[in-house]
Order: sequence, then C-alpha cells, then structure tokens
Amino acid sequence: MSTVQTSHQQAEEPLDLIRYQLDEYIIVKLRGSREIKGKLQGFDSHCNMVLSDALEYIYNENDDEPMTKKSEMVFVRGDSVILISPIIE
Amino acid sequence: MSTTNPMPFLRSLIGKEVIVRLKWNKTEYMGILLSTDNYMNFQLDQTKEIIYTKKNGIEQKSSELIGEIFIRCNNVLFIRELNEEDNEISKNGTETKDEDGDSEVVEEVIEGEDVVVEES
Amino acid sequence: MLFFSFFKTLVDQEVTVELKNDMEIKGTLKSVDQFLNLKLDNITCLNSAQYPYLNAVKNLFIRGSTVRYVHMNPNSVDCTLLQDASRREAMVQAGK
Repeated sequence: MSTVQTSHQQAEEPLDLIRYQLDEYIIVKLRGSREIKGKLQGFDSHCNMVLSDALEYIYNENDDEPMTKKSEMVFVRGDSVILISPIIE
Repeated sequence: MSTTNPMPFLRSLIGKEVIVRLKWNKTEYMGILLSTDNYMNFQLDQTKEIIYTKKNGIEQKSSELIGEIFIRCNNVLFIRELNEEDNEISKNGTETKDEDGDSEVVEEVIEGEDVVVEES
Repeated sequence: MLFFSFFKTLVDQEVTVELKNDMEIKGTLKSVDQFLNLKLDNITCLNSAQYPYLNAVKNLFIRGSTVRYVHMNPNSVDCTLLQDASRREAMVQAGK
C-alpha cells in the first residue's frame, strides 16, 4: 500500500467517497482474505464494481507472499466487499 | 428521560474518533468518522486497522492504513466512540479486556441482525 | 439497474466467471437479468481437474449471488460511458 492522502473531501455520504474515485486507483478488501487493486470504472450502491488493470492478491493463513492474479477488466460483485480505499500510484 | 436512537447516535459520532468492529476475522478499524448513511455504511479517515491474533496469549497486530476508507454496512458488528482506555491499548500494543465496570457507560450501536435479547 | 444494463452490452461476448466456490467458467454470455443471474453457452471449466462436475455441460444458468468476479474483454467496455453512468447512479442514490 502506498502513501497517505493528506487531504480529504467532506462528503455527505460514504458512497460519495467512491464516486470521487472514478477513474482512480483503489484497493478493495474482499471476503476470503482477498484484496484487489484496480482503476475504478463503475460502481453502484451495492458496491458492485468494474475495475480495469486489476491485480488480485489472495492471502493464506501463514503470512507468506500472497498469490496474485491479473485482470484487464473485471466485474466484482458487491456482496464480497468489506472495505474500499483510495490509493495514490 | 431522554432516549438516544441509533441514527441520531451515529450522527453524533461524526467528527469523533471511533472504533468499528467487523463481524469477521477479529478486525477493527479505528479512525475519525466522516460520514454515514441510511444503510449505516461508514466512511473513516486516518484509519488504523487492528487485527487480533492469538499466539501464546493475546497479541495485537495493527498496521497503519491509508487515510480514508469506506466500510460496507453489512460487515459491521458495532461502532463505538474511542475512550481513554483505547489509547492505552494502542500505545502498549497488548490487548486488555475492556474493563468497563458499572460506572462507565460505553455507548455502542450493535447492528440489528446480530442482536440477541436475553430475558433476565 | 446500472450493471444490468452493463451486462446487457456484453451479451454474445466471451466472459470468464469466477464463482465464490472457486470454480472458473469461461463461456459466451447469452442472457442476464436484474439480479445479475447469468446464462452462459458453450462453456469450458478452467479448473476442470479440480472440479470435474461440468465436463458434460454445454450451457448453464448461474445464480447471481454465487458470482465473485466476471472477467471480460476490456475492448467491450466503454469506460467513459460506465463512469458517467456511475456518477449519475450515485447522485440518484444519494438523494434517496
């Protein structure tokens, strides 16, 4: 994960944070010890999302290096989503 | 006799430092509550991720997260305001049980579907 | 409704669906509904050694709730259109 954002927008609703991240890189933490980084192309209120240029990290119980999988364009179903965070690349 | 309902309670937490505990993986997020909505999604700033792991006793593993996060509502077990004791925990790096006692009232919002009401 | 419309634009394209039980299925998307249930034709299972259940299956229906990911050809996606639609959808949701 990279640098800390120093400024933040005072958004009315949590989903607004996501709206500001369109066309930006985000990291999404998912159920099943997975994380996926990618450029946010679309989302809805269920947190269904489409990410481009995505990299998925799959962690295992030991703290080994996670498995990675690349995808140029992926739809992520919202019910797996735990949290979403912007990243600066 | 004043009553505090859940949504006004959440709105009163905006701008304050809170801890959000998830239902999974003994994970908590400590940060400043930026906003909430009718679904009880949360947006936190300056967030610290705290994961409780057990290895020969109880250790606290925490890592600094990137400033802002959005937490999807369904993952939340509860949200509570940070109090004096929590700062002790995060400094020492060891988890101590929450010694609330009877004298201190820690207000928590527990998500509806996980609530079990016991008749005493 | 946003992603319902999105998937409708992908009908007749090849997609790879990864399910929550770790099965991966590649096929041609034939149909989608508001729950994002999918129908795929002419499928191949990408992990058929681990999951030999679908060796004899050509076409199938997938319940939307079991889907983890859907991978698609990036050229089939109009990103600007999708971003604009998301912005509009988010404005609508914020009002509710």
